[in-house]
Amino acid sequence: MMSTFLSLNHLHKRFGELSVLKDLCLEIGEGEIVVLLGPSGSGKTTLLRSLAGFETLTAGSLQVAGEEISALPANRRNFGMVFQHYALFPHLTVGQNVAFGLEARNLPKAEVAARVGEVLPLVDLAGFEERRIHQISGGQQQRVALARALAPEPRVLLLDEPLSNLDPALRKKTRRQLKKLIRNVGITALWVTHEQEEAFYIGDRVALLNEGRLEQVGTPEQLYLEPASRFVAEFVGRASALSGVLQTDAKTVEIEKVRGYGQPVAWMGRQGSPDDSGKVIEPGDRVALIIRPEGLAFADGSEGDALNGEIAERQFAGEATFYRVELAIGGEVWVRGGEDAGRVGDHVWVRLASQGPLPRIYAADQDRVE
Amino acid sequence: MITLRKKGLAALVTVGLTWVVGFPLLITLLEALGYPHGWSLSSFSEFVHRVDEWQALWRSLWISACSVVLAAVVGVPLAFVFERTEFPGRRVLGVLVALPVALPPLVGVIAFLFLYGETGFITRAVQVVAGMETSPWRLSGPGAILLVHGYSMYVYFYLFTRAALARLDHSVYEAAAALGSSRVRSFLRVSLPLLRPALAGAALLTFMTALGSFSAPYIFGGGFRVMTTQIVASKLNGDIAMAQVESVVLASLACLGLWLMRRIDGGNLAVVGGIRGVTPARRAIRGRPARMVAGVLGWGLTLFLLLPHLTLLLISFVPPVTWTVEAIPPVLNFDNYHSLWMAPERLRPVINSIWMASLATAVAVGLGLLVAKLSLDFKGRFGRVLETILAIPWAIPGTVFAISLAAAFSVHSPLTGRLILVGTPWILPLAYLVRSLPVTGRSSLAGLRQLDRSMEEAAVSLGAGRWRILRRITIPLLKPALAAGASLAFITALGDFVSSIVLYTYDTRPISVEIFSSLRLQETGVAAVFGVLLMLVSASAFLLWGREERA
Repeated sequence: MMSTFLSLNHLHKRFGELSVLKDLCLEIGEGEIVVLLGPSGSGKTTLLRSLAGFETLTAGSLQVAGEEISALPANRRNFGMVFQHYALFPHLTVGQNVAFGLEARNLPKAEVAARVGEVLPLVDLAGFEERRIHQISGGQQQRVALARALAPEPRVLLLDEPLSNLDPALRKKTRRQLKKLIRNVGITALWVTHEQEEAFYIGDRVALLNEGRLEQVGTPEQLYLEPASRFVAEFVGRASALSGVLQTDAKTVEIEKVRGYGQPVAWMGRQGSPDDSGKVIEPGDRVALIIRPEGLAFADGSEGDALNGEIAERQFAGEATFYRVELAIGGEVWVRGGEDAGRVGDHVWVRLASQGPLPRIYAADQDRVE
Repeated sequence: MITLRKKGLAALVTVGLTWVVGFPLLITLLEALGYPHGWSLSSFSEFVHRVDEWQALWRSLWISACSVVLAAVVGVPLAFVFERTEFPGRRVLGVLVALPVALPPLVGVIAFLFLYGETGFITRAVQVVAGMETSPWRLSGPGAILLVHGYSMYVYFYLFTRAALARLDHSVYEAAAALGSSRVRSFLRVSLPLLRPALAGAALLTFMTALGSFSAPYIFGGGFRVMTTQIVASKLNGDIAMAQVESVVLASLACLGLWLMRRIDGGNLAVVGGIRGVTPARRAIRGRPARMVAGVLGWGLTLFLLLPHLTLLLISFVPPVTWTVEAIPPVLNFDNYHSLWMAPERLRPVINSIWMASLATAVAVGLGLLVAKLSLDFKGRFGRVLETILAIPWAIPGTVFAISLAAAFSVHSPLTGRLILVGTPWILPLAYLVRSLPVTGRSSLAGLRQLDRSMEEAAVSLGAGRWRILRRITIPLLKPALAAGASLAFITALGDFVSSIVLYTYDTRPISVEIFSSLRLQETGVAAVFGVLLMLVSASAFLLWGREERA
């Protein structure tokens, strides 16, 4: 890992009785793009606003290149910020918007003009200096917001759901442009989103927040394939949960029979990292088995470790088709299959796929998402 | 983040605001209770035992209540016609109909005098047509006051109802119709309840304005005194203690009215519940004859509403002593304008009014913005306290404020916060400032509430300091709201009569006092010229406001 540039140490933020950030620690390398991902109300925006200096932290310290900045007011942190709704100044032109931060630093006029002339071409807006904000498109406004944030050469770039105002087609195009641009500038960036696909595309690493805590920080692959908690497993990508009892080999789980018919089976899994509570799972404990759709396959018939059920839903997703199967013993699973693997109402058998990722085993009471 | 410096500024502003708004009222209350010569309720006791005081109080109340009914009867149907139907000239007429709100009350009063007074156009016309020896009526007493109130205050109901109708969601009518409701039933069960907050807001505004109305009762009232004219009469008779007791009673009545109305509508006045959706389409009046009739009626109505002001313009061209018994003035020329231009001393009221109103407006805009910003930054109880102080001069009648300012600032006692300002050129700008603060403060508050907070945060994140943000972001973005507040404050100050008549000196006499003096001296042409000047400057400020709002 690259050397730490931005360091978040034991951050706490409370609004009255409500604890919004809980003992949050994160280290970000110079030039790294970290995406803060999480559901609504998880504390992403509060964290970003605290970094920008718009919120005062209840406790904790913030350091940039070893310098303590938590006591600095927002206008002296030298952090650039791109706002969700851009917050472009409607009474100023594109050029004046981009020049604003440079003028605030009392740079000579010639230098301001030169810098504006340098930054606008970076976002493909050369020649747009005299345009009014209402005269340009949403995508262009987005890029003006980025140019304005980058013009004063900030130490860190903060982006608060910068693509949420764009339509889906433009969003994909813009995120590609933004990623390329941030890479080229080489700035350390923290990007907030609640869209997993966006997070995986943009981030060198993704920090998953839930109820003010960091659930896991890692590469997109690590989050998907080695989720640190049941929450991560279920929030990132599609996953099914079955409950059961861990067998003596500590790898096999006997699936619990919820309804009164069908034959329970034992499926192999592997344990995730101990969660925050440090709970260790032991043989005989009730556990949750979290299974990715590609970790399951349709079986030809009643094999030893197959469960029978009925296809309740079929979702065609282009490159793959997903089937929701209601199991005879109770519960349901998502199975990835071929386009014509079955129709709704068909009776099918489901087993662990020979090539797919092994199910993950978590303590049964770790049920934050259901 | 609230810094120590901001807390210091907030404390300073609160003290300053309390000094100009709350302190004079407190002094009036204390002096009514005998301070500094020993506490006594004797003046209050005298008030309670005098029949004329009770009469004035009762008249103030019923005149205000009748004004509300009259204004509603004219304003609400007008709003429905302009908002729900389509006919030739609707847009232009819709704006013209609202014009009386932008004109100073005194101008309206003298315009009525020239039109319906004993020697007015209509009166003479009726007299000539009927072949009568004397004037068919006298424009005086409660009828005249109510006529002027109804004419000038229907605009509140018209504007509030139109705004509320424009925001109503058409689907509620469609839902009512789908459920089998007739048009009348939908009006009674759907429209009216939804319009209730707007109607209550207009009623409150009309009631408070009528309660504090001075020009119409002063000029048309004669022996029919309401509280505002009673206060000024007591002051002119040298009975300062009684004037102060009357002021305290009227102020209490105004506060009670405000409190009652807020209770009735849960403090949710003039807000139509944030309904979103499609506004119902205007019902176009089809058929050529019907459209013609609607057009003629619309234009006729507008002409009727503008007639007083057109009369004022005409009278300004009538030279002195040329119009005696004829129905139409025999001579029209520019003599009145010329005589004013040739005697610079006579132009002094115009200059006085302009500089005093400009100064008061400039300070009111700055202070209003500062108070609004602080009240939003601090929120909570302190914010509400600031907003309440800001609203006091709106609720308290102008006469009361004039008496209070005269009481507080006629004594030299710097240690108790009292300076001699009465008799100096500063007392009238101060009075105008206090009366303008609710207007500028509320427009700033509204502007700031609509301002996207992330604009200022974006500026902070770009390294801008407090003053740069205020100069480059906040003020430019608030410009429409500030301009609206400034123009209304300027119009109010420029046409003020109620404070001016109590506090003016010969050197600082404003236009309104000069109009009144000219009327007393039978110089109707000169009074009309001053009225026209007031109208022109007010209309210019009104247009400037409109331009800024569109920008």
